Amino acid sequence: MPRMVTITVDGARILTPEGSNVLEAALEAGICIPNLCHVPGVTPLGACRVCVVEIIENGRRRLTASCTLEARDGMVIEAHSENVMRARRNIVELLLAEAPNSRAIQDLAARVGVTECRYPMRNNTCVLCGRCVRVCDEIWQSKSLGLVGRGPSRRVALPFDVRPDLCKRCNNCIQVCPMTITPCPGPLTEPAICARCESQTSMVENIPDTCVMCELGRGFQCARWQLKGLDARA
Amino acid sequence: MDAKQLDPILNNRGSEPYEIMEVLQDIQDLYGFLPEPALRAASASLGVPLIEVFRLANFYKAFSLKPRGRHLLTVCNGTACHVKGAPRLLDELMARLNIAPGETTADEAFTLETVNCLGACALGPVIVVDGVYYEHMDPSKLDGLLETVRSRDRELVPHA
Repeated sequence: MPRMVTITVDGARILTPEGSNVLEAALEAGICIPNLCHVPGVTPLGACRVCVVEIIENGRRRLTASCTLEARDGMVIEAHSENVMRARRNIVELLLAEAPNSRAIQDLAARVGVTECRYPMRNNTCVLCGRCVRVCDEIWQSKSLGLVGRGPSRRVALPFDVRPDLCKRCNNCIQVCPMTITPCPGPLTEPAICARCESQTSMVENIPDTCVMCELGRGFQCARWQLKGLDARA
Repeated sequence: MDAKQLDPILNNRGSEPYEIMEVLQDIQDLYGFLPEPALRAASASLGVPLIEVFRLANFYKAFSLKPRGRHLLTVCNGTACHVKGAPRLLDELMARLNIAPGETTADEAFTLETVNCLGACALGPVIVVDGVYYEHMDPSKLDGLLETVRSRDRELVPHA
């Protein structure tokens, strides 16, 4: 039995096993922290930065990704301060500009309240969240995929771009990929914000910090759905 | 590629996964680049997943997955060399060899590369040919330089 520690997220005191990550602790307790690259049961990578929170230590505040933040006793976290919301909106805006043709990312944008995109739309097919790589590596022990290259040339690749014998064709890499869910109106011909979730967005404005198992969470494969053992794609 | 050449490298070093960097460096020294079969052999011998080997080979600029020429020309394009005329040198070399940086000539004699700084700014502009530094280069010296390398190449490959 691991030692339990108490952390404070948005004023709520949460009891969680020591060393578990803050994102999962908050989601278990019903606090909504939007997330994209996190897959329960797989090592957090902190690639997408959507789950950004503010940690308050000795009166200082700093922004950090909550999925790679280990819970320690007495930790104070702000998940919905003005600072965090601004940073999160900006991060999602960048994701949206990178790959608008994904329901996961469109839903994230709706959830955090992105209404315009100030960056040029790139219309890419990958946001380098590393979900496929980690699931392949850790759950299936296959190590067929990897994030290869540095900086702008970073990409998900197979060794020598050939499917290795280790690959069991389980297709889990495709199932966890946020890019495989098309936006509700179908694939976008023009990259844009689809913004068809008005019914959801009003709720988002009223209760930004409470997880209500929203439909948007299904879209972005929110870890909350998976933690509850529900199929996020149903 | 001769697979026998790999044996001493893998026998000397190839047992623990952490030795992969040394093995990759030795393979690079041996062939001038990292051939795919050699990487597969190294991966199997050291027990490092092939994707990790591939990632390392892609990550470090010192490694090349493409065959390289017998002679490596590296033009320093650091700040000091840049202001002292490195871009002009590079343009001249590109025109003379008819290749872009990162490419190899058709006869596999030369590979042209750029580097961001060699830490030898007082010698700038610097061109490194097979590890030898040629300092204070200017376009008029390039013909002589290429000719010395070509004559060395003729000794190396008599019928080329």
